[in-house]
Amino acid sequence: MSISMALFSPPPTPFSLNPNFTHKSTHFPSLNRPFLHLSTPKSLPDNGASAAAVEDSKPNPEDPALERAVEGSSGPNGAATSAEVEVSSNFEDPSWIGGTWDLKQFEKNGSIHWDAVIDAEVRRRKWLQDNPETTSNDNPVVFDTSIIPWWAWMKRFHLPEAELLNGRAAMIGFFMAYLVDSLTGVGLVDQMGNFFCKTLLFVAVSGVLLIRKNEDLDNIKKLIEETTFYDKQWQATWQDDTTSNNN
Amino acid sequence: MSSIAFKPFTGLRRSAALPCHNPNTTTLSKPLVKFHVSASRTSPKLSNRNLRVAVIGGGPAGGAAAETLAKGGIETFLIERKLDNCKPCGGAIPLCMVGEFDLPLDIIDRRVTKMKMISPSNIAVDIGQTLKPHEYIGMVRREVLDAYLRDRAQENGANVINGLFLKMDMPKTWDEPYVLHFTEYDGKKGAMGSKSTLEVDAVIGADGANSRVAKAINAGDYDYAIAFQERIKIPDEKMVYYENLAEMYVGDDVSPDFYGWVFPKCDHVAVGTGTVTHKSDIKKFQLATRNRAKDKILGGKIIRVEAHPIPEHPRPRRLSGRVALVGDAAGYVTKCSGEGIYFAAKSGRMCAEAIVEGSQNGKKMVDEGDLRKYLEKWDKTYWPTYKVLDVLQKVFYRSNPAREAFVEMCADEYVQKMTFDSYLYKTVAPGNPLEDLKLAVNTIGSLVRASALKKEMERLNV
Repeated sequence: MSISMALFSPPPTPFSLNPNFTHKSTHFPSLNRPFLHLSTPKSLPDNGASAAAVEDSKPNPEDPALERAVEGSSGPNGAATSAEVEVSSNFEDPSWIGGTWDLKQFEKNGSIHWDAVIDAEVRRRKWLQDNPETTSNDNPVVFDTSIIPWWAWMKRFHLPEAELLNGRAAMIGFFMAYLVDSLTGVGLVDQMGNFFCKTLLFVAVSGVLLIRKNEDLDNIKKLIEETTFYDKQWQATWQDDTTSNNN
Repeated sequence: MSSIAFKPFTGLRRSAALPCHNPNTTTLSKPLVKFHVSASRTSPKLSNRNLRVAVIGGGPAGGAAAETLAKGGIETFLIERKLDNCKPCGGAIPLCMVGEFDLPLDIIDRRVTKMKMISPSNIAVDIGQTLKPHEYIGMVRREVLDAYLRDRAQENGANVINGLFLKMDMPKTWDEPYVLHFTEYDGKKGAMGSKSTLEVDAVIGADGANSRVAKAINAGDYDYAIAFQERIKIPDEKMVYYENLAEMYVGDDVSPDFYGWVFPKCDHVAVGTGTVTHKSDIKKFQLATRNRAKDKILGGKIIRVEAHPIPEHPRPRRLSGRVALVGDAAGYVTKCSGEGIYFAAKSGRMCAEAIVEGSQNGKKMVDEGDLRKYLEKWDKTYWPTYKVLDVLQKVFYRSNPAREAFVEMCADEYVQKMTFDSYLYKTVAPGNPLEDLKLAVNTIGSLVRASALKKEMERLNV
């Protein structure tokens, strides 16, 4: 435990309040909290002002325990430990209340601005990906992405991509129809009746859907290999004895 | 998508010491051909003795195998190198194991009835509400469980020998015995031990992930994960939280292809993580796991650090002549959860049952065909379980969005019920088709949402 505290390397904080702490180690429980949060500039810009209010929900007893564990790692002089304590910064945001997004704060003219909720969650996950945090029983995270309605996801993510892919398919379709017509003389209506042309159409559509980037071809091949790899590993024991297969 | 380089699997049978495959098979195939010409039904009766079988390794697999063999009237020798071994292990056994192996309830230190799954963004989901009052996951101490199974085997007539298996001489003709060379310790601690040999008719290799029996029969290699675990004694008031709750942390910080865990043991917790692909970073993953659980294990003291390999899939060859592998030696650990104790014990028992049946309670010689029946039965019974867990691991452990979706799905009651039913009773139950459809739709929805968020996250970077 104490080793992990010492090794918990924080992201560099521009407002480094460390020098102030080194001689005030005895005053930690009371002084610590406000300073703790002003030194975390990574969240929203208006973080500093409201952060102190938000974080009051964190229980007090943790701090002395934190101090004890941290001080254990660097001997009797708790000076060096102040750095670790100060930078155990958590994700804070005025809209993040009680472990979930407070939807009332995202309202604009009476209706909830779902895009902003999605943006906020993206920022939170990005923050946590770069600075993994401890989980806490007192402040559990209970956010569920399914509270954002399905049409908000559609509008934001599916529709632009659908537009792109439909555009590609239309361009390919027009060009191929023109090409086949010029090569064979078969018009568009007659093309649709021909089985071979219908097959080509199917291949073109599935190609546009599945292959978006050059890497996708390799990915698909790997995926197919992956689905049967485990089976092959299990059946290896039977492969050797195809010749002596009796009983 | 993680880019896994697939090693050519068929080449795994070639051991480094023998570069040319052919001579190996020809020397083995001559007795093999002889084995198969004589069907088990026409195997000669053993005139003046019972069948002798050695079980190498005294863990759950070895203990279960030895007990079944001894009960079946076979002269059994159980060779274990360290009778008080505390095998590093998660220590979780499913409910069905207690019933199937008649385990006394005082072996179980703790009954876990709640689990918490924690996603990379710390979304925590509690599972276990669907468990009935009599259902639980049992947490055991390996030294207690192993000793109990071994003692029971001894009570039923098995000879337990404290020794370290060294090597095995293969028989040149089919009616010659296997000659085992081992160092016998005879219960003396720290003593040198004496070289001994033992002649047996069949061998069950239950000596774990680094099995020497497997090497002796050129069973081939497998991919394995490293599980690293620290046992931490935490203050009593924090231990109350873990009274009957285990935690599972997923995330790239904790493990790129597995999960980190906090499991309660008898009077402390085990905090650990594992990985297959990034074994050299295991310490980093362990730190991240401890960091994620920091608040809950604050003030704890590390009392023990341990690591062990976990096989990822069965060895290419699990059977050769009259030598069969069971348990970790065969590679019977499930993906996704990394569960091995139940499957080890069950495979030991199944293999022993096949020997007992093939030899008609020790009266006849067995041959490879009888042992193959154990493999057939095993693959048929448990293949669906292994495959489903493999699919789950491939889908849900591949990236952070997938893990977020995984934790979201765990909040669903139907998922919880299906998961626990299949874990506790070891059957892949079909379930309600309508609910399955709803589940499929919800899974796809979760995965799509999570990966959409991930794409936005990447855009934030750029």
